[in-house]
Amino acid sequence: MTTRDLVLIALFTAIIVVLGLIPPVTLGFIPVPITAQSMGVMLAGCIIGARRGALAYVLLVLLVAIGLPVLAGGRGGLAIIQGPTGGFVLGWIVATFVTGLIAERLVKEGQSEVRQFAGFFIASVVGGIGVLYVIGLPWVTAVMGTPLTEVAKGSLVFIPGDIVKAVIATLAARAVLAGYPLLHARA
Amino acid sequence: MLNGLNIEGTTPLHRMSVRAKLAILLICGLGLYAVSSLYVLIPAFIIAALIYFTTGLSFREGVSRLKPILFTILILLIATAYLTSTRAAAESFFRLMAIVLFAGAVTATTATGAFIDEITRLLQPLDRLGLVRAADVGLAFGLVLRFVPDIFNHYQSIREAHRARGLKVRPLTILAPLIILTLKDADTIAMAIDARGFRRPRERLR
Repeated sequence: MTTRDLVLIALFTAIIVVLGLIPPVTLGFIPVPITAQSMGVMLAGCIIGARRGALAYVLLVLLVAIGLPVLAGGRGGLAIIQGPTGGFVLGWIVATFVTGLIAERLVKEGQSEVRQFAGFFIASVVGGIGVLYVIGLPWVTAVMGTPLTEVAKGSLVFIPGDIVKAVIATLAARAVLAGYPLLHARA
Repeated sequence: MLNGLNIEGTTPLHRMSVRAKLAILLICGLGLYAVSSLYVLIPAFIIAALIYFTTGLSFREGVSRLKPILFTILILLIATAYLTSTRAAAESFFRLMAIVLFAGAVTATTATGAFIDEITRLLQPLDRLGLVRAADVGLAFGLVLRFVPDIFNHYQSIREAHRARGLKVRPLTILAPLIILTLKDADTIAMAIDARGFRRPRERLR
């Protein structure tokens, strides 16, 4: 790993922390307010790629574990990881890796804009929503004993918001790719 | 902006080594999942609560830290009680609360620096194998803490630029400039780190 990779990883972790400080926005047709931080997985995977993105989240999870209030709403500490939603926190790492892997394969520089949008969107939905829920939901069941089907049904309210996030992440990732491409850049 | 959640103090938990605390937390966490008797889980919960509230944390601060997680646990508790049995729900509740309170106590009694030192030490075996550089972890932590305020300033100036032009401040229009503005500095920062020789060059093993 070059120093530049290390710096990119740390800067992206810092960006994710800052996204947690931005006040959440409420959209009319979605019941849950959207925090900019929850787009971090999709953004990290699509912008700095699988390996660096996942390491940025390893760093974030370590910051949570050592008790810095880096999550939205000033949350942090070991209790977050050991609690019912801990599966999502640990799942971020895998989800970012998968998002990055798909984005690296599907999106190439010099492709048509539409194909780049499609690639980032597929990566965000599969990695940032699919993989995350596959890890997060069984964790809730394991910790609380709530039946898995009910947890899955209950989490359906979050899906419209997640799709909106995937769209925003797609547009942002494509803008960054056009302005300062990093996805494929390997030193 | 990013103050740790630890409280200064001299309780036994403060003086215990970080590794011992983490080991106890891990063993308790796994151990409590092996038992399902309320006669064990309720005392465990009471002991954890006593430890948590004697770490020097004021009662109000202690409760406010638990609020977000307590909210999630209560919603799931109601759902579980309704879908399975009240007893099963009570068992999960006391088990989870005991673990969460003890984890909170470890967080409250361990300084950020002590944690970073311990992580670096735990990574030493991997460092010797050449898989990671343990010292990089400390450097990365430092970089994050150093740049969060800067990036927040970037965010504020982008927001001001929006206002000056009468645009609505939306995540969509903020994300791209914020990310490009921040990552653009990576090369300069990397050069500055290398120029100061923070990362000792190491001979490649192969």
